[in-house]
Amino acid sequence: MSLAPLSDADVVARCRSGDQVAWCELVERFSRYVYAISTRAYRLSQHDAEDVFQEVFARTYEHLDRLRDDEAIRPWIGQLTRRLCIDRLRRDSREQVGDEELEPLEAADVLELLDEALSVHAALAALSGDCREILDRFFACDESYHTIGETLGIPSGTIASRISRCRGGSG
Amino acid sequence: MDGPPDFLDRRLGDLLEDIAARTPAPAGGSVAAIVVAMAAALATMAARFSSEHWEGAGGAVAQAEALRARVAPLAQEDARAYEKALEALRLPREGDPEVRNAALGEALALAAAVPLEIAAVASDVALLAADVAEHGNPNLRGDAAAAAALAGAGARVAANLVAINLGAVESDERVARARALAAAASEAAARALAPSP
Repeated sequence: MSLAPLSDADVVARCRSGDQVAWCELVERFSRYVYAISTRAYRLSQHDAEDVFQEVFARTYEHLDRLRDDEAIRPWIGQLTRRLCIDRLRRDSREQVGDEELEPLEAADVLELLDEALSVHAALAALSGDCREILDRFFACDESYHTIGETLGIPSGTIASRISRCRGGSG
Repeated sequence: MDGPPDFLDRRLGDLLEDIAARTPAPAGGSVAAIVVAMAAALATMAARFSSEHWEGAGGAVAQAEALRARVAPLAQEDARAYEKALEALRLPREGDPEVRNAALGEALALAAAVPLEIAAVASDVALLAADVAEHGNPNLRGDAAAAAALAGAGARVAANLVAINLGAVESDERVARARALAAAASEAAARALAPSP
């Protein structure tokens, strides 16, 4: 059974009870996020990013029982990744400098973008398959109603109202 | 070297002067893109006033905003594509005809691709605006209908430019596609402008 439609909190709860499939889902759900923070926001090398990746998920596994809010697993993982990236940059820096000086200027913007992308991904994952496909084609791939209609075999005149219904949550 | 001014950064009065000037661009394609962007903005406004009347209002706002973001930059792109086509037309005829024909063909294909994209977005805006007119706040029906009518006009203008820029080859798939998009937009505009039942 796919765990993709489960909320973050449900996945965390299952991980805590020792469900290995749920743990794989959690790693799968946040692996790109963690890797993107390391490489895009903090510009770590691939080698360092892989080390951070291992460390983040090892610590997450150890801390599962102590999380205060299961729903907040994403910001928790994000914050942990940032801290480990800064530690890595500090280790490589010859001078004693504060966290703010180690943080690349555009890190905050990149983190915001990554968070937004993950929110969109989570929102799409919670939708029915039809809605997910139609929203993805319109908003992410910039396809026209005509193209979507042709591809999915749906009258193009009905695409706008289908998208409105999907966005309204009744899809 | 400075490029042409971005139309979206121009004051409206200055942009109207730019359009009226005796220069090749901005011309019909750019104006169609701007009109369609305005139609999308109008549809957004009508949908925003419809949240208490229609559960799809939020989805319509999101779509209209996405369509506006898609079409607005095409005003500039159309002007660039048109200027490139003019440059290709000015290539010396005494040179290698194959080189000139290839450059000309490429430039004209681009000059048709941009209005085709404008026609596609315009058709979507007209369909969406007709939906807003039908389901949204009745007090804003006139604005939603205006959005559909303007988008419908933009689609027809853009489709005509596709045909002109491709040398009016009706058998060309792009011309047929543009005409189909314009027909769908016109039908949606007529529906939106029809007296409410």
